[in-house]
Amino acid sequence: MSAFSPAGLLALSGALLGLGLFGILTRRNFILLLISVEIAINAAVLNFVYFAAFSGSSSALSGQAIAVVLIGLAATEVAVGLAIVLGLNRLRGSINVAEASALRR
Amino acid sequence: MSLAEFLPEILLLAGALLIFLFDVLGRRRLELVGGVAALSLGGALLLVVADLGVSGLAAIRTVPAGSVDLPLAPSLYAFTSLGFVFQVTFLLAGLFVAVASLSRPSDEKGASVFFGLLLIATLGMMLVAVASDLIFLLLAIEVTSLSTYLLVAYPRRDERSLEAAMKFFIIGALSTALSFFGASLLFAAYGGTSFYALGPGVAFVGFPLLAEIGYGLLIAGLGFKVTAVPFHAWAVDVYDGAPTDVAAFLSGGSKKMGIFAFFLVFLGPILLLRSAPDALPATFGASLQLTLGILAVLTMTVGNVLALRQKEMKRMLAYSSISQAGYMLIGVAVGTYPAIAGAAFQVFAHVFMKTGAFLVVAAVAGLGVGPLIEDWKGLGAKRPALSVAFALMLLSLAGVPLTVGFVSKFVLFSAAVEAQGFYVWLAVAGLLNSALSVFYYARVLKAIFLDRPDPTSPVAGPLTGRIGLARSAVIAVAAVAIVGLGIYPGPVLSGISTAASHFVGIGA
Repeated sequence: MSAFSPAGLLALSGALLGLGLFGILTRRNFILLLISVEIAINAAVLNFVYFAAFSGSSSALSGQAIAVVLIGLAATEVAVGLAIVLGLNRLRGSINVAEASALRR
Repeated sequence: MSLAEFLPEILLLAGALLIFLFDVLGRRRLELVGGVAALSLGGALLLVVADLGVSGLAAIRTVPAGSVDLPLAPSLYAFTSLGFVFQVTFLLAGLFVAVASLSRPSDEKGASVFFGLLLIATLGMMLVAVASDLIFLLLAIEVTSLSTYLLVAYPRRDERSLEAAMKFFIIGALSTALSFFGASLLFAAYGGTSFYALGPGVAFVGFPLLAEIGYGLLIAGLGFKVTAVPFHAWAVDVYDGAPTDVAAFLSGGSKKMGIFAFFLVFLGPILLLRSAPDALPATFGASLQLTLGILAVLTMTVGNVLALRQKEMKRMLAYSSISQAGYMLIGVAVGTYPAIAGAAFQVFAHVFMKTGAFLVVAAVAGLGVGPLIEDWKGLGAKRPALSVAFALMLLSLAGVPLTVGFVSKFVLFSAAVEAQGFYVWLAVAGLLNSALSVFYYARVLKAIFLDRPDPTSPVAGPLTGRIGLARSAVIAVAAVAIVGLGIYPGPVLSGISTAASHFVGIGA
């Protein structure tokens, strides 16, 4: 565990979260937006894995288990997002988020 | 532990699986799948009411009295009486929407998707109410969130619904990422994620700053779920674009789930402030309280001010729903047991008021009346019973005496005054906001009962559409409950107060 100090790891995962959030808020293409969601959730996964190993106590296992569950969750999230975007694409022939304006007034 | 303790949840899951099985077999009649959904929701409701310790139902209790309200332990789930109160609320919201939806046109496509997802969304909320671990809680919230995204999108040919689902999904994904990152920081700071490890069982606090940032991210992540300002902007578009029955479920059910999540996550540090003021999480319990108080005031004020300007009924109700979330957040910020009881009672009452109001809006849209408030002009003369029920719901939302909304606000605000200090201002803000909200409710009532319909409006015509027996029954039950609980809140209120005092006892 010497390669990374907690501060370095937090800088990395924080940067991942920031990248993901930035992508979610600015991406116009829904597929790229889903990738951003994936990156943001993986920032949390990284934290769980690292701090489970870092603390070295009995909680180590739970941290790694949580990481596995989170990976599954991220996949589910993307599956649901793809279902929505497929429906939109069928109706409009476009997956551009910015073109969604039926609710604007 | 035994599986029987989760019988209500298993019932919901079995109902959902049965509906999806019927779908595969080609049996998609609305009466069939809706009946299965209503039965499993009703059965689960009966079991949970029995768990609350109602005399006469002791024989069907699934959770023995000895395993309710135990001291907090490092476990994944725990049964609390306040959790049962919230489960009753969620099941009532689900049941109302399911029964009312039986009145839909029976040739409508997608009935099995709607009812199946409704059951799974309710299942997620039920699990939130028994969570005793942050990760368990967030995963249960995800179960509900993922199914509500699809519920909003289920009329697949409707562009507005799909667009609402897309917005809901994007905001939901944002909130998920923030919540889990917050949880991972708390894990780093405390070495665990159970509420025991985060509260009374604090063993190791490695990084106090991480804990503070973690709680901050959780406020944002969960704030999206309860539509707390400034995380509210999505709600109005989603409620507006979603099918109205789904909007009824979102405001009566999934938002209330967020309120309970606030209780679970933030009461720990706030309660620690009183019992062990020197422990580290307690030191920022105070700033947490201040933050939540500010959030509550902002939420109710912004919700009410924006509701004033709305021309459409559904959007007006959506903004009023945001402001109601602000009142409920007062309960979390104050954190004493009368305040929690007040917030829980407000949540309970909200099912009848807001879910009922959305169901009326769906009924009136079914009559062929337009979405604008002015389209409702003169409805009182044409459909007096429906209009009176809607009037009762709005009066209750405004907090007029003799309705349940008055009782819940009275309990909540008096608890805030009792707590002294800064909390008195929360009560003052709540009162001022209630007065403000009367304006826009009164405007609707004037349109319905005093104005004459425009000659071109459908209300001036024969108004031939049908509401349906099931939907009328639900609306009637909600209206009767509003007045009944408003005049005689005694037993329900004392039950909720006891549950809240136990809940505070566990956390301290």
